[in-house]
Amino acid sequence: MQGKLPDGITLIQADNYETWLVDVKVIDPNPIYQNETYRLKFTFSGQYPIEPPEVTFVRDATHPIPYHPHIYSNGIICLDLLDRQGWSPVHNVESVCVSLQSMLTSNTKKERPEGDDNFVRYNTQRPRDINFMFHDDTV
Amino acid sequence: MKVTIREWNAVAAWRWDMPDDDVCGICRNPYDSTCSKCKFPGDECPLLLGECNHSFHMHCIFSWLRQESSQEKCPMCRQPFKSKSQDAPTAENQQPAREPDTSPL
Repeated sequence: MQGKLPDGITLIQADNYETWLVDVKVIDPNPIYQNETYRLKFTFSGQYPIEPPEVTFVRDATHPIPYHPHIYSNGIICLDLLDRQGWSPVHNVESVCVSLQSMLTSNTKKERPEGDDNFVRYNTQRPRDINFMFHDDTV
Repeated sequence: MKVTIREWNAVAAWRWDMPDDDVCGICRNPYDSTCSKCKFPGDECPLLLGECNHSFHMHCIFSWLRQESSQEKCPMCRQPFKSKSQDAPTAENQQPAREPDTSPL
């Protein structure tokens, strides 16, 4: 990542090529996300950028998990471009952050995905191994 | 007056015929530099121009095209990636020279 990052996106930690932390804020007024900052964790495999990074929201005392019909309460994100089938190696940390920021900006539903409770309780797979169904193009 | 040259040293620089500030979209290194695996730029780590006019280090685009999920499409425009130049090898008929840390297909 070179030069200036877009508004609302701050690189927090990038000490190595394994794990990066980036904070994301929604800039445009959207009542769901006012005054909150979300923290993304990027985990890169040795095959990055040929393979997608694993990207999840992480929760701590000052960073909640944003409400969104495609974001589970454990931080796992269902987004086609993070999946093997939707990934392109010309994506990068910045473009992924911008996509997630705009996914939040345009969202009007303050809700979790269907089956969030069960998914969060029983899922043992890593995000990259989950077969998401990308059925909903409206949000 | 006659000058006798006893010795001379020539220094030459080369670069690919590409815009100055451009980087390979996959490895983000300048085109004039190497892919992320090679040590020396030049013929050993050439560029490949697609029919869609998107170019990459040959090793970078080959790593991508070898992935099943690439469906042999250009990472930029998702059109089928075909090499534009006549003499350049294509992904179909030549394995890349180097295949580090990936298992053979």
